[in-house]
Amino acid sequence: MGFRSRLGVSALALAVASGAAFAQDDEFWKKAAEPYQGVTLRGVTEATPPSNYVREVLAPQFEELTGIRVDIETTSWDQMYDKAIKDMESGTGIYDMIYIEQDIVYAYLARDFLTNITQMLTDNPALKAPSFDEGAFTTFADYFKDDDGGLYGIPMEAFIKVYLYRTDLFGDPEVQAAFKEKTGRDLKPATTHAEYAEIAQFFTDWGKEHDEDLWGTTSQAHTGHPASWYEYVESIAPTFGVYNWGIDAANNYAATVEHGGRMNSPEAKEALKWFLAMRDLAPPESVQSTWTEVASTFAAGRAAQGIVYGENAAWIASDENQSRVVGNVGVALPPLEDGILAQVEGGEGYVGYYDGGAFGLPVTSKNKEAALLFLEYIGQDSVQADWALAGSRITNTATYDDPEVQALDEELGGYFTMLRDSGKLFAGAPPYPFHAQVREAVAPIFYEILTGAIEPDAGLDQMAERAEQELTDLGYRQ
Amino acid sequence: MQSNRLGWLLLAPTLLILAMFGVFPFIYVLFVSFHQWNPFAVNPEMAFNWAANYRRVVFDAQFIASLGVTAAFVFFAVVSELILGYALAQAFMKDFPGKAFFRTIHTLPLIMAPIIVGSVWKLMTTPSIGIIPHLLDNWFGYDLNIGQSAGAAFVLTVIMDIWHWTPLVTLSLIAALVSLPPDPFEQAQIDGAGRWQIFWHITLPMIRPAILATVFIRLMDALRTVDEVLMLTGGGPGSATRYVGVHIFKEVFPRTNYGYGSAISVVVLYVTIVVCWLLYVGLIAPRNKKG
Repeated sequence: MGFRSRLGVSALALAVASGAAFAQDDEFWKKAAEPYQGVTLRGVTEATPPSNYVREVLAPQFEELTGIRVDIETTSWDQMYDKAIKDMESGTGIYDMIYIEQDIVYAYLARDFLTNITQMLTDNPALKAPSFDEGAFTTFADYFKDDDGGLYGIPMEAFIKVYLYRTDLFGDPEVQAAFKEKTGRDLKPATTHAEYAEIAQFFTDWGKEHDEDLWGTTSQAHTGHPASWYEYVESIAPTFGVYNWGIDAANNYAATVEHGGRMNSPEAKEALKWFLAMRDLAPPESVQSTWTEVASTFAAGRAAQGIVYGENAAWIASDENQSRVVGNVGVALPPLEDGILAQVEGGEGYVGYYDGGAFGLPVTSKNKEAALLFLEYIGQDSVQADWALAGSRITNTATYDDPEVQALDEELGGYFTMLRDSGKLFAGAPPYPFHAQVREAVAPIFYEILTGAIEPDAGLDQMAERAEQELTDLGYRQ
Repeated sequence: MQSNRLGWLLLAPTLLILAMFGVFPFIYVLFVSFHQWNPFAVNPEMAFNWAANYRRVVFDAQFIASLGVTAAFVFFAVVSELILGYALAQAFMKDFPGKAFFRTIHTLPLIMAPIIVGSVWKLMTTPSIGIIPHLLDNWFGYDLNIGQSAGAAFVLTVIMDIWHWTPLVTLSLIAALVSLPPDPFEQAQIDGAGRWQIFWHITLPMIRPAILATVFIRLMDALRTVDEVLMLTGGGPGSATRYVGVHIFKEVFPRTNYGYGSAISVVVLYVTIVVCWLLYVGLIAPRNKKG
């Protein structure tokens, strides 16, 4: 038998085997769902491309397969939390699935809001889908596990906040020559803060000189929305070596340098001044920009570079209906202070924010078994590739090997490759159950720093003191 | 006796709804305001703490500041709405071509949800994409950036409120003006009274109850403004537009400071009642005494 014949026979055998496997899978879903006919599951999540895909594609698919109706409510970030927390707090059981952003999972676990999915599957083997495997997830799933390895959420989106730059500008010979003449060095993506600032200044000047709507960098610097505070503590401060918001959980939750924290350390102050300097080189809308507007600014071609949430990378790089920079987007690691990369590779700290979330099953749900089936359904390898194409998110290891995902990766300037290879250098929010409480306590001071009403150094001193006060009031700090 | 029982029976649904959605929630808020309660604290249970939350309110610089900007916001918004609303009501009392069309258009903002109003104004005021900064820059060379300028942000929130709620004032005053009897006006004209004298001595006293009712409604609404401001400025820049409604929202929802947030709510309710009472005493009671 020749090679071609063997390949043909193998392909046929694979097709037959896959067909049989799919048929077997279909049979499982139908049989497992039988007791839950007539049930309607309700979920609440943030209106993002991955969530919209769940509502528009995965939920109808699941309903067609099992007969269990799934209503997914997509709403704003604030509303989502408001609804989910109120539902679980009061025990009304309206929602069978809730979106758990990585930064809130610790608070939910502390309040025993969530069902241990691993345990529930062990206790109900008849509900365990053959095609569902907790081991198929990337390491991002670890954020949703307890100390015993119990999984409390099915990862549904995972991104890293990356350094995006305009390849058309960085590769333009005229721009390169002007940059070389002005700075004495070649124009290439920055690896340090000094380089980044130099590039930002160059392009802002270039925009003015050439009467173009072009600025040197994006900046998530809203003066009344927590997005700016997040930009500073999660994306900028770590690149200066200040991790976990500058709070030392192991040292009685100290935030001030005086008590052993780093929120007002010299590195934190330097990071804040750099953030403010970059804000001043960004387009004027930056002072009203949250994460969404930053992506829009970059997609509109108004900034040469920026630190942008990865969930936006796909549409910025490939959607001509929304973006003016399609095909001109490069991806790199965020700029760092000297020594930070070595420190992070050595296991201490991180270079940026690993963002994402999971779908969890509230303990208050009245349809836990049916909801568990849906969560298994969206966690299967087989539904991941199309989801990744629609929402630039990857949560299962096997998704990286899909040919269509690999093709998109090239279009995205290697974003998925960076997520796979360098994801370990990024980290999610610190494991604090008091996330929103401390944020809201210190953010008003941060906004005053942004407006210039308080000097950065004095502001950080106040923030550190306020954080300690809040932690004391909440009972974490003794 | 029979008719009395029937009366109570007919009133029962209303009283039940009032109790469920008005009285019980208020009592619950009052109850919570005497407790330390943050579900994300080490101790997530409610703990009675006497009047500690109220004591904290008095010394809370952030709250006092938010009360100050709210007072300014309410004053400028309500006074402007009253003046504009009266002018528009008078205009709509006259016949002119396209009156019905303009009256319909003018009431459209009223049917928009506050969150949508905030979104629309955000779009209109965002530098580089908003029509308002664009026109101001082209016409006057003025660089409007409400993310940077506290004054501009404050003025914009006032203008947004005026745009949203003036139609309500107009409609209330049209209703009042339409119901006025023509005789006093005719007599005044015969006696040779001028337009200003007629307005000051006849129109204004006769529509005073309607004005007061409208002011009460707008005052209470403006004091609890949240959605549209949150959407437009987020309370910023800094704390320039962190009105009490926004302040309470941020304390209660993201910060989950239920006990303290409830205490602030009760204090704001008290302030609202006092302001309304002062207005009533100042404008209506003396007139009633004169008899």
